[in-house]
Amino acid sequence: MTDVSGAWYLSLAAALFGIGAFGLLVRRNVLVMFMCVELMLNAANLTFVTFARMLNDIAGQAVVFFVLVVAAAEVVVGLAIIVAIFRRRREATADDLHILRG
Amino acid sequence: MDNYLPIFVLLVLGFLFAALSFTASAILAPRRPSVAKAAPYECGIVPRNEPPERFPVRFYLVAMIFIVFDIEIVFLYPWAVEFRALGTFGLVEILVFAAAVVIAFLYLLSNGALEWGPARRSAHWSSARTTASTVLHISPAPSDPRLSQASGGEAPEHETPAEELAEGSSEAPARAHPHEAA
Amino acid sequence: MSLFFLSALVLPKIAWSAILPELILLAAPLVLLAVSALSARRLPTGVYAGGMGAAGLASLGASVWLWTQVTPHGAGTAVDGAIAVDGFSVLVMILVSSVVVLAALIGEGYLRREGIGGPEYYVLAMFSAAGAMLMASADDLVLIFLGLEIMSIALYVLAGLDARRQGSGEAAMKYFLLGAFSSAIFLYGIALVYGATGSTNLPQIADFLAHNVASSDGLLLAGMALLLVGFFFKIAAVPFHMWTPDVYQGSPTPVTGFMAAVAKAGGFAALLRVFFASFGLLRDDWQPVIWLVAVVTLLVGAVLALVQRDVKRMLAYSSINHAGFILVGLEAATTRGIAASLYYLFVYGFMVVGTFAVVTVIARRGDEAHDLGSYRGLAQRQPFLAAMLALLLLAQAGVPLTTGFLAKLYIISAAVEAHSYALAVIAMVSAAIAAFFYLRVVVLMYAGAKSGVGLPAPLAATGAGEGAGSGELSPVAAYGPGAASAAELEGDRPEASRPDGAGGGEGHGEPDAAGVPATIALAIALCAGFTLLFGIWAQPVVELARQATLLFH
Repeated sequence: MTDVSGAWYLSLAAALFGIGAFGLLVRRNVLVMFMCVELMLNAANLTFVTFARMLNDIAGQAVVFFVLVVAAAEVVVGLAIIVAIFRRRREATADDLHILRG
Repeated sequence: MDNYLPIFVLLVLGFLFAALSFTASAILAPRRPSVAKAAPYECGIVPRNEPPERFPVRFYLVAMIFIVFDIEIVFLYPWAVEFRALGTFGLVEILVFAAAVVIAFLYLLSNGALEWGPARRSAHWSSARTTASTVLHISPAPSDPRLSQASGGEAPEHETPAEELAEGSSEAPARAHPHEAA
Repeated sequence: MSLFFLSALVLPKIAWSAILPELILLAAPLVLLAVSALSARRLPTGVYAGGMGAAGLASLGASVWLWTQVTPHGAGTAVDGAIAVDGFSVLVMILVSSVVVLAALIGEGYLRREGIGGPEYYVLAMFSAAGAMLMASADDLVLIFLGLEIMSIALYVLAGLDARRQGSGEAAMKYFLLGAFSSAIFLYGIALVYGATGSTNLPQIADFLAHNVASSDGLLLAGMALLLVGFFFKIAAVPFHMWTPDVYQGSPTPVTGFMAAVAKAGGFAALLRVFFASFGLLRDDWQPVIWLVAVVTLLVGAVLALVQRDVKRMLAYSSINHAGFILVGLEAATTRGIAASLYYLFVYGFMVVGTFAVVTVIARRGDEAHDLGSYRGLAQRQPFLAAMLALLLLAQAGVPLTTGFLAKLYIISAAVEAHSYALAVIAMVSAAIAAFFYLRVVVLMYAGAKSGVGLPAPLAATGAGEGAGSGELSPVAAYGPGAASAAELEGDRPEASRPDGAGGGEGHGEPDAAGVPATIALAIALCAGFTLLFGIWAQPVVELARQATLLFH
């Protein structure tokens, strides 16, 4: 097998991050927007791990632990908010959030 | 890299084929929609009403609680690997960490987040709740007739203690939701 | 692997005293949670408020003690270089601790009025405050990220605290989605900076930049840009401010005040530290960006606030305007500029908490009466509230003899000193525009009292139109005392519009019956007193901010 250089991982991470950011901006379903945020966080994780490997520095890998936990906390809080709002509605669409407008 | 060239070519061909098919279909295909064609099943029983889509909220809640404990392991694992090197300091740290999680868990228990069984309104601050019951209360308690009576006035919209938790804590019967069910 | 670690593992020395305020604000909510979970009866909300107030005072005491330690010994780091113990971080700690105490007072009155029990508000507010402190004292990008998340996640939930109002849930949702988006951008920025410099530690980054000419490094610039975007979201600078009006309007009013003070304090503290201290050598790269964002933020915040009918939305845009001012101090990129920004941040915290405390009381039970019409003739019905609100709004407008005036003065003089003349002029113009909408509310409150007449039509619409269009000082002038029609009808309006006024039955939340909850009144008086006292007796706080910046790590 040929060795895969770090640049490939970084490109992949950048692509994932771009997909996540783009998805968050164009999709209207709250759950999908939510998944896009997770995609972005994990893209950052991949970048951290890759750089840690390239720089031969363990700190970058340790960061991933913290990010994982933060991501989990965000998932839980986000889902709780979604559940609290959309309990009585059929669809979870961001366009339904229209009470606050100025 | 040469080994990957055929795969890359295949990928490009695949994309091209898919793109071509969709474009051709969009340009060439005739479109004459009718009610029958738009139905979920083109032949068979005509559906009379939409299938119910609601999951019990408790399902999500348990999933969320699981995530928290799942993530706790992420920190326990490295600590366990380096247990000896970290010594007493590590032990104390992890105990503090565990204590924080346990307190959060107690809070969940006291709010009835893990109570399965039939819906009981106002379980949150019921008179049946004591310190001991919160600590020991893993299995659902027998339903209290007084409680079900208290909630009898309102339409039984399958409200659960879990839903109460999501709403913050306040007396449920005194409250009218501003928005109607969709 | 394991063996390698075993030999290399050196536990860092942890100076617990350096993070004492954070520890207090993290331990206290856990205690409150345990108490609430294990108590058999439903505890009155005052118990939790007392706990939070005590924790806030303890952390305030710890912060002041840290200040006395830092002043003679100079700045330093703790916990293996991850925490900076300097005047800058300690001053923000003092601010945040004070806001915690005030938030406990205001929250108690609000929750009792609304009949919302449970420890959630207090617990989440304390966690959030601890996160903001961590952001201010972190000397490592990863720790800043953790502080940011501790602060933000608690704030998302706080925004959705009042589940009865649909707007509260919406605010939580919007805040959450955009906040999570900005956090992810911020994190990716950290990752790129880490890749470019090989460290996430701020002094090490500065060290790296000092020894390597990396200003043309695309990776580093991209990372810096992403970090900036993440910060701009948090402090609500203009291209990234869209969430602010909605979230400020939808959140429960005490939470809005808390959010405005704490989130801005944490976000700006980290922004100032990262860009002034770490990326200081690259200022030619980031200064133009800050310049542009500051200009747009100043103007958009001021102009859009003019056309708002809802007081909370108006204050949201005014907070955007204030963020622009603080950015002007950063743009100067001098010690003086940073000191001015810090001073602005410090006094703004008290002003905004006090203002939203008054808004909380005026909103009445249900937290809905935020239309400008509710403020008409307030001086007659509620002289205390009207006087306090007038003072706080005038301070925000920058009227002399208040801290707000000094803050604006120092910012503008720092900009002039740094030769950013255009920016200084724009800041003054925006302050002049902003003065219109602050004064509009003040005149509305007092003009109604003088003429003894309420105005029948929803005046806010006309007021907004005129204020924006012809630059009329106040719409009241258009009506004048002559327009005395339908006065009796108007007199009854507040009672009629109060939601479920009869159902309350507790005696709280009846502001028309001189019933400002004592705790909220105390908080308002403290905020207003601070604003006025240190506006006149300026030296101590100015000196504090100057010293804090001198003791910059």
